[in-house]
Amino acid sequence: MSTISIKIGKGKDVAHLSKEVCEMMLRDLERAQRPVLEATKCALDNSFYNPKVGYLTPGNKKVKTELNVSSVQKMARAIFMLEILLRNIKVGAVNNKRELYYIAKGEVKHNPKLKSLDFADQDESDAIIDFICEMFEIYREELNCFANDRGGQTYSLQLEVTETMPDGKKAVIDLSKLGTSPFQPKNRPQALKLKAKKKIDFALIVESEATANTFVSNGFTRRNNCILIGAQGVPSNAVRGWCKLIQDQLRIPMFFFGDLDAYTLQNIFRTLKAGSAASLIRNSDFSAPDVKFLGVLPEDIKKYELHDYGVKETDVGEMRALKKAKDALDNDPFFKDKKNKHLSEILQWLLKNKRRCEQQSLFMVDPKDPTMPEKVILEKIKKGSYI
Amino acid sequence: MAAKIESSSTAEYFAKNLQQVGFSSPTKAVLTTLKEAVDNSLDACEFAGILPELEIKVNRVGKGSQKNTELISIVVEDNGPGIDPDDIAKVFGEYLASSKFGKGQCSRGQQGIGISAATTWAQLTSASGVTVITKTKNMRKAVKAIVDVDIKKNKGILRTKDSIDWDKPHGVRVEFKMDGRIQLNGEGGLLTYVEGTTLVNPHLNLRYKLLDEDWVDSKRVTEEIPEIPAPVNPHPHTMKLGEFITHAHLYGGISLSKWLKTSFSRVSDQSIKDFLQHGLKKNMLNTSVNKLTDEDFKAIYKAIQDTELMAPSTKSVLTVGEEALSKSIQKLGQVDFFSVLTRKPKICDAKPVVVDVAIARFLNRGSEEDQVQLLRFANRVPLQFDKAACAITKAIESVNWRSYGLNQPKDSVPYGPYVFAVSVVSPFIKFKNASKETIDASEELVEELRLALMQAGQKLSRHIRAEVRAEDLERKIRHIEQFGPILVEGLVRMTGANEKRKKAAEEGLKKLLGRDASAAEKDVKEAHGKLEEMKAKQAAKGIGHGTEMTEAIAEESIETTESLKTEAKKEDKTEKKSKKEQPQKTAKKRK
Repeated sequence: MSTISIKIGKGKDVAHLSKEVCEMMLRDLERAQRPVLEATKCALDNSFYNPKVGYLTPGNKKVKTELNVSSVQKMARAIFMLEILLRNIKVGAVNNKRELYYIAKGEVKHNPKLKSLDFADQDESDAIIDFICEMFEIYREELNCFANDRGGQTYSLQLEVTETMPDGKKAVIDLSKLGTSPFQPKNRPQALKLKAKKKIDFALIVESEATANTFVSNGFTRRNNCILIGAQGVPSNAVRGWCKLIQDQLRIPMFFFGDLDAYTLQNIFRTLKAGSAASLIRNSDFSAPDVKFLGVLPEDIKKYELHDYGVKETDVGEMRALKKAKDALDNDPFFKDKKNKHLSEILQWLLKNKRRCEQQSLFMVDPKDPTMPEKVILEKIKKGSYI
Repeated sequence: MAAKIESSSTAEYFAKNLQQVGFSSPTKAVLTTLKEAVDNSLDACEFAGILPELEIKVNRVGKGSQKNTELISIVVEDNGPGIDPDDIAKVFGEYLASSKFGKGQCSRGQQGIGISAATTWAQLTSASGVTVITKTKNMRKAVKAIVDVDIKKNKGILRTKDSIDWDKPHGVRVEFKMDGRIQLNGEGGLLTYVEGTTLVNPHLNLRYKLLDEDWVDSKRVTEEIPEIPAPVNPHPHTMKLGEFITHAHLYGGISLSKWLKTSFSRVSDQSIKDFLQHGLKKNMLNTSVNKLTDEDFKAIYKAIQDTELMAPSTKSVLTVGEEALSKSIQKLGQVDFFSVLTRKPKICDAKPVVVDVAIARFLNRGSEEDQVQLLRFANRVPLQFDKAACAITKAIESVNWRSYGLNQPKDSVPYGPYVFAVSVVSPFIKFKNASKETIDASEELVEELRLALMQAGQKLSRHIRAEVRAEDLERKIRHIEQFGPILVEGLVRMTGANEKRKKAAEEGLKKLLGRDASAAEKDVKEAHGKLEEMKAKQAAKGIGHGTEMTEAIAEESIETTESLKTEAKKEDKTEKKSKKEQPQKTAKKRK
């Protein structure tokens, strides 16, 4: 029995390494030995928060798949899917997971010998794609498998983006020329290069895409040298990679503004800032540890006399989020680390008071002034009222 | 001026409240009438030591007097000892006239309400009560009579009484004509009732004809008449104060001490001494119970309740029995496999109780998508309504059947082609209502039922586990055949390996997976062995299984793996040899 453990660094040739894995498996089989494929365990119990880098990193736990009668199907499917993905890379084609599910079905349709590999539903093919990624410790984008570019609509009058196209050509996007249309970042931030035409003071990521749009319509980007992004809920890979890119390439202060509730704090903000347990192998490129939590903070409720309200016991979603918040305080290495003490204090406050306050409540501070939320945000940035 | 207070007779009360005793709808009226007549016949046969031969005929004979009803004729004939002609009016026309009331025996009927209620229903809906033919062994001719209920006086009236020839040596035949509707199948169906009755009365020969169906003969599976245990005196801890006082008045002028010792079970001289320590006044012991005041009874009752007494005897209960159940359950259909269990008598809520459970999977009954068919019995009488509140249902829902291999939504009755037959026998069953359709779900009884069900479930899981293992083996073999070659071909394509390497890899894979199949086969054998062990134990008790399905599956699976097994054994030997030869090489590689 031999263990096939692959360590791929950035820029390594996936095709070459795939061939290496297959060669080792074949060699084991020739000797009637069981090949064992090893993948990083992407789960909370293998997550460590490194305050120096600021995101969740994987521990040493591995998920081993040894060839036996139960795993032979999984291994055969993994090799089958790997062939499809490598073919895509070779010809420069890209697909999302749903499309790959249908491509796999098409292969089976045209080759009856492969019938037993047929995926009954997309969950099955998704699991195989994830397994390949975890085994090679690569992002699925590196296998030309992209997710929907959800969220991240970006507005700025100072930012210029240069995108290197698959054919090597470059496209330059001046965001100030887009009118009221936003720039939509792609899932492959490595292909983007950023430039500030004029000094940019800060980037503001707003949880609600609609509220971000309102800010732009009311002149936020005209009055401030900034980048304004709508996160659209839990940040997608595109949003996470995009924020990381802004952080690394522009080195400007970054702030997140969203609801004051357990879900926002642990699902949205934590994922943006430090990544997630499910994506341990990609957090280094898909988290922006410098982003600060601008609010809504518990003290803002009192200071700006914001309307907050109790979480209803009957609200299943909210109650689940509170339960998860308790688990996070006990088990999540991000919230357990003293570097994020103030964030865990907010979670504790939410658990204790069972109240929530929405980001849009800033519009009640002075209902006659549509720019009031902007004024509050700028005041908070100026006074350092963030965590 | 206050309204005039009038008293009504018991019959008047029941005539106005027939829904309380099982006559709440035309459909239920037919079933309840049949049930009451059959109960009486079976009880009579058992008490007389006669193997019961019953004939049932239910038919539509015209239009009913009420809207949406039909005129139904229900005939039940038995070979019991017969009823003395002088008692006919009392048995069929008078409420609360019973030979079994409060006797502490496991009889089906208890209070003497049911059959009089059936007569009342017939009388109210078709203007004629019940037609009875009876003959005892001392009579040369039988007596045929039509009995009505005098509702005002709670008395039976014989409208006609004739002597007739009847070729039976003894027995009773009753015929009711009444408004009703007939439901054959389903939980409240007549067929379900008939099947259930034959299941828990394995000594019964039943011939029946329902509507236009052919006559069906259901033969007895045992010649043994259940021995009805002798009645026992009530245990003082099972009585309420009112019952306690009424009980005293049945015994006339005897002393308290004598009354306590002779009219209750588990009360001895020592118990009397213990009562004294718990507040019973010594001077009362020799006082006649007739002279005791209610206050005295209260004090006596309290002292008794505060004293610990030996639990009631469990000798008064009878069981259906594992052997008989295992035979009669096979009458319900083609049984795939089954598990039967009879618990030892147990005291629940200070009353002796015996629980029998039979769980059977059928090849031609039910499906995986349907809930299991639940047959509930109380004192060997099927319970067909108000399932949800019954102790038996509650106990079934509380068991985790998933751990025994059955499909079950959380806290619910499981699914699958199974029949769950659960019987509770006790001289003092507490029902939720007078129509005796639901057993009261006391904590102790539910727990006892739960234990019985879990034990039966464990037995059942041996069968299911053996099947699952065999399926697992089949799946593994299928996997080897399906995915092995594809995996190797994929690897060969990716690496560009030649045909020689491909063959070597295929051979290697076959050996590896053959070893796994061999291990799985061992599991199957092990599960099969355990099942056989259990069957042997049951066979020793006289419980035989109808089909040997699991055996067939296991043998078939073993056969198909024979080639792989040989291959794996060969390989094991080679591998052991090569391991000995190359230990260093392997160690190095693993580093």
